[in-house]
Amino acid sequence: MSQPTNELTDEEIVSMIRSGETDSFGILVERYEAKMKRYARKFLFGYEDTEDLIQQVFVKAYVNIRSFDTTRKFSSWLYRIAHNEFINAIRKKKKEPLSFFDPDTLFPRLVAKENADKETKEQELSQAIDKCLNKVDPKYREPLVLYYFEELSYKEIANILHIPVSTVGIRMLRAKKILKSFCQKINYHL
Amino acid sequence: MNSDSQKSSISDKVLKQIEKDQVKMRPKIYFILKALLIMSGIFIIALFALYLVSFIVFALRASGAWYLSGFGFQGIRASIVLIPWLLIFVALLLIVTLEALVKRFSFSYRQPILYSVLGIIIFVFLGSFAICKTGLHPNLFQKAREGRLPVAEEFYRGYGMGKFHNVHRGVVSELRDNGFSIKTCRDEILLVIVTPETLFLFESNVEMHDMVIILGERDDHIIIALGVRKINDKIGLLPKKHMPPRLYK
Repeated sequence: MSQPTNELTDEEIVSMIRSGETDSFGILVERYEAKMKRYARKFLFGYEDTEDLIQQVFVKAYVNIRSFDTTRKFSSWLYRIAHNEFINAIRKKKKEPLSFFDPDTLFPRLVAKENADKETKEQELSQAIDKCLNKVDPKYREPLVLYYFEELSYKEIANILHIPVSTVGIRMLRAKKILKSFCQKINYHL
Repeated sequence: MNSDSQKSSISDKVLKQIEKDQVKMRPKIYFILKALLIMSGIFIIALFALYLVSFIVFALRASGAWYLSGFGFQGIRASIVLIPWLLIFVALLLIVTLEALVKRFSFSYRQPILYSVLGIIIFVFLGSFAICKTGLHPNLFQKAREGRLPVAEEFYRGYGMGKFHNVHRGVVSELRDNGFSIKTCRDEILLVIVTPETLFLFESNVEMHDMVIILGERDDHIIIALGVRKINDKIGLLPKKHMPPRLYK
């Protein structure tokens, strides 16, 4: 007897799609649509065509699904496609600065670890992030969104952005500093 | 209801495109070929980088720049002129291209750029060192000088024979009271005048058939030597038939 589709893992569904059950791709779209929408909404500011971008993300995922390694996580792979799509959109609009080269990825650094006092502090932080996110450069905004709203680990973020885990830590630290100084300016206390 | 229809809109649109064959899955072979293309690119560029860096070492040795560091300011000045800057620039470009290609793989992008760049540089230098040991470039240079290297003849002759008026390389062909004569790779005989100011970068005397580098301005066929250095290097020797056998062993 076959397993109900809602019990199947993403990777099992990918295998089904590859073997010809293309309709199953709809299950993956439904599973990730809300997440992609939130990612786009938080990461891209002033973009009206986010729906089209997200649609494009899923289309690209379908077109390239045979390149996905089923021993890895589908979600990271999909977020990587979304990241590329969103970065291209930012570059096309030229609204925000985006450099091709990041000096933070040059040298080895000590990893700034994910906080142990996550629960208490980070609820306050995510409220602040929500208020001030648009004031942070995309380079720092993206790891914040992926960590606080998509609830991904540093390792997963590193895999999505194709940067070392230590660089994710550095970007998070800097992003928090930028947020803190901006929040102080608008009298919002962290 | 409105939110439901919005919720499924993307899913519906994507599935419709799939149904109508407006979007198609790329076949597995496409990704295999793409990966093969990248791997071949890395392989070819790595080979070219190995060849070029080993050639740069060869050109430095053949032109004499490799041996000039002991001659003080004059030696450094001559080295700077003789260094093949264009080739070094191309080699750096190749290393940057290799880094960009290697960065596509997870083993590379998970590490800081410094590590992968260092890895590539170490690989290129060790590989070039191995190529230098094979005698590939001296052999090709010899062929170029004998007119038996159709494509790269000018390349080898241009970089191998040096181009700076103040640095000369040759085999001692005659000993004189005031100096000695050398036979260069261009088959010229140059008279080297040794003065009390001439700096000798070796312990023993100059002997017949010694390979030497001379730093000094040339006037016609006479060089007033600022510095003399004996070297044990087989690059840039005269045609085999003209050479004393011991230098070719």
